[in-house]
Amino acid sequence: MKISRRNFLKGSATTLFLAGFNFPVLANTNKKKNLVVIMLRGGMDGLCAVPIIGDKNFEKRRKDLILDETIKLNSDFALHPKLKNFHNLWQKNLGAVIHATNIPYTKRSHFDGQNLMETGGHIPYAVKTGWLGRGMKLAELKGDGLALALPMPLLLRGIPSNDNFYPSKKRLPRTELLKLLKSIYAEKSEHDLANMMEIIANRSMMSSGGTSMSRKNSSLAYKAGLELKKINGPKVAVFEVDGFDTHAAQGGVNGSHSDSLIEMDSIFKSLEKGLGNEIENTLVLTLTEFGRTIEQNGGRGTEHGYGSAIFMAGGLLKKSQVYTDWPGLKKKELFEGRDLNSTIDARSVYASAMSTVFDIDFKRINKEVFWGDKLVNLSDKLFKV
Amino acid sequence: MKNFYRKVAFGLGPDDKTPSDPLIWATNQLNDIPEFSWKGKILPEKELRNYYRDYVYGDRKVLRKKFKNNKEGYKREKNKLRHATGQKFWWNLELCIRYSEALKSETPVLAKLWYFWGNHFAISEKDFLAQYTTGAYQREIIRANMNQNFEKMAQEATIGWSMIHHLDNEQNIGPKSQEAKWAREKGKTKGVNENHARELLELHTVSPDCGYTQEDVIQMAYIMSGWRPKWGKRRLETGDVHFNPDAHEPGTKIVLGKKYKRGRKSLSVAITDLVNHPSCRKFIAMKLCRYLITDNPTQEMMEPIIKAWEKSDGFLPEVHKAAVEVAFNYSDKYNKFQNPENWLLQMSKMADVDLIPSPSFMNLYQLGNKPIKDQRALERLMDELGQHPYLAKQPNGWSDISEDWMSPELLIRRLVYAREAYYKKSGKSQTTEFYEEMIEKNYDNPSEILQIINQHKELVHKHVILFNLPETLKS
Repeated sequence: MKISRRNFLKGSATTLFLAGFNFPVLANTNKKKNLVVIMLRGGMDGLCAVPIIGDKNFEKRRKDLILDETIKLNSDFALHPKLKNFHNLWQKNLGAVIHATNIPYTKRSHFDGQNLMETGGHIPYAVKTGWLGRGMKLAELKGDGLALALPMPLLLRGIPSNDNFYPSKKRLPRTELLKLLKSIYAEKSEHDLANMMEIIANRSMMSSGGTSMSRKNSSLAYKAGLELKKINGPKVAVFEVDGFDTHAAQGGVNGSHSDSLIEMDSIFKSLEKGLGNEIENTLVLTLTEFGRTIEQNGGRGTEHGYGSAIFMAGGLLKKSQVYTDWPGLKKKELFEGRDLNSTIDARSVYASAMSTVFDIDFKRINKEVFWGDKLVNLSDKLFKV
Repeated sequence: MKNFYRKVAFGLGPDDKTPSDPLIWATNQLNDIPEFSWKGKILPEKELRNYYRDYVYGDRKVLRKKFKNNKEGYKREKNKLRHATGQKFWWNLELCIRYSEALKSETPVLAKLWYFWGNHFAISEKDFLAQYTTGAYQREIIRANMNQNFEKMAQEATIGWSMIHHLDNEQNIGPKSQEAKWAREKGKTKGVNENHARELLELHTVSPDCGYTQEDVIQMAYIMSGWRPKWGKRRLETGDVHFNPDAHEPGTKIVLGKKYKRGRKSLSVAITDLVNHPSCRKFIAMKLCRYLITDNPTQEMMEPIIKAWEKSDGFLPEVHKAAVEVAFNYSDKYNKFQNPENWLLQMSKMADVDLIPSPSFMNLYQLGNKPIKDQRALERLMDELGQHPYLAKQPNGWSDISEDWMSPELLIRRLVYAREAYYKKSGKSQTTEFYEEMIEKNYDNPSEILQIINQHKELVHKHVILFNLPETLKS
């Protein structure tokens, strides 16, 4: 084990040094920048997605779940072999990972954990808005959010007029009818309804061109990419991937955890395809409620744990790197003797991301979105500021 | 004024006569709890909970072990287990029962308020509660208490199996209790889980406006510690709720300045105090006004409801009558954006849409099979519209704020499902005369509405426009 607890700071210092020479600081202030959050529901197993290399404790405790043919990222970490698209981004300096991180929630209930990952709070159900919605409100991004889901996710609540896209298989009424309704709404001063009908009417014309109306995340991500690319399009997009709660048959390369990781990976690919060059001005982050236990259970699955990982993608990243303050996997180093610990508050990453993409001072985000909790500004370590 | 029929119910259907006195028509529906209008099967909650038990046990204790190396086999057998326990059927049956009250009963006003209370004491999406027991909970604990005092509903909902399990009270163990001591001897820690206690205060009774502190929440959790399902090897967490003194925190607790002794009785005493707190009636009055009248109720609106509560000791029929009367008095001044479910029921009632499968058709279902598509239509439809009543995302239920229902995708669903609904109508209601009569009966500006919808020739288009006009979306 070469990795040390200081690695995160060392690693990021190197990055900072390189950044000064290799990456001219872009005058990004007048560029449209996008933030995409992919919610991974059910507890994403960071150790399955980004396993540690050559750790005896890990190999012993996970013996039936160790993956073959992982993709080596660096001397310490590898990548799940099915995450081909993410690896592709990584090779282009468009992919990075934060490891051993989580929201500050340790009680292992999906129900509470998913609420907290979206609100960013400490007490389940105490906050009724999402951290992303509050951040957008601070940045005055009304009407700039797009959820690729039917109900507006809690994560985006806190700012009105977000758009959502989750196509129904049924055909929309003819365009004239939509236009009639729009004019009636306008006449009756129903401005919100009129705005929405405008979006819908445009959408109906868009869909008649034979584009796919699938609800698969890969298809939604392509659409979202095209929208984010537009100069007057949305600036924030939110995805949902379910199925990470693999108590059984989690398996190896073809197990059930892989299925969900593959779905996440397809979002990276389609977003890149839809965004084209605008991937350069985009930042994609994942979010989950907790990781999973190190030890496999009797059903060759894993139970709810604590520390997990965040996948990051896009051109606003400094470089491809696994950032971590690695806590170790010896029994005494584990959280409550069973889980990978979390050494980085995931909210520091999200607050830094919002600060970078929305061009808002980190301290303001820390104070107004996260109630002045002790978060660390990682913007200049992780992102092109 | 005619929007009143849509505000407190779902409008007037083709067979409904226009009441001579709308207010009396409405308030007369609120005294008793009639039998269900649904003439098909209705299962007790306990029986449905047993199906849930069989599913949980079969999955957790049998299949996960048996198929630990076989993802495909696990999937296949789990699907069989789902059908063997009716997982895809029961909630569709519950929706038939639920919507019959809006569309086929003599008491649609009571139905609209039933949905309010089901959402107030919400069981949100957790495990597979929605598929098995949430509908039955709303029948047996919510609707059955709508002719009682609020206190009785609150008492029963709080220690109902659904609520205790949904809000994790089974994990709420007094840190000084016997069980916590045993756990410590084994090197484990067990303690309080505040979830249910907090929601009891915040969502179900006094609301944060009453000014309780985090310490009050913890003290309330101590009072609630020990209330949980009776555990069994076979029934797991699905046993009846009982009070287990071993998990109860000893000592006196103080909530909102009042002392409570240790023991079984303290929860019921505390609930009595909470429902009698002035903040509770104010909160409920505000929520009723918000549901029926406007996002931002005024003090003036809430006052008569609070008075009725005080006069009747929270007797729900009186509280409901006061709320309905306020809605009547404000019907010309305020329109409330209708949530997807109430919108669908309005359309179905007024335009005579054949929404609910027949009891004989639903009775054809046999356990072990996958229900056929039309037997699952309601559950899918509600999901498509974005408001499955048993799948609220959080314990605070579905929102009553208009803004939360304003999204392009949600509006699209209203457009496409208005169109779908048109084709589920009987031939006799697919005539211009039918629509003219219906509009006359239910809208205050019939000639304006007719003029708008007549800009399109085909009846189906007129139908889609009508049910997406501001006059319909907001009632």
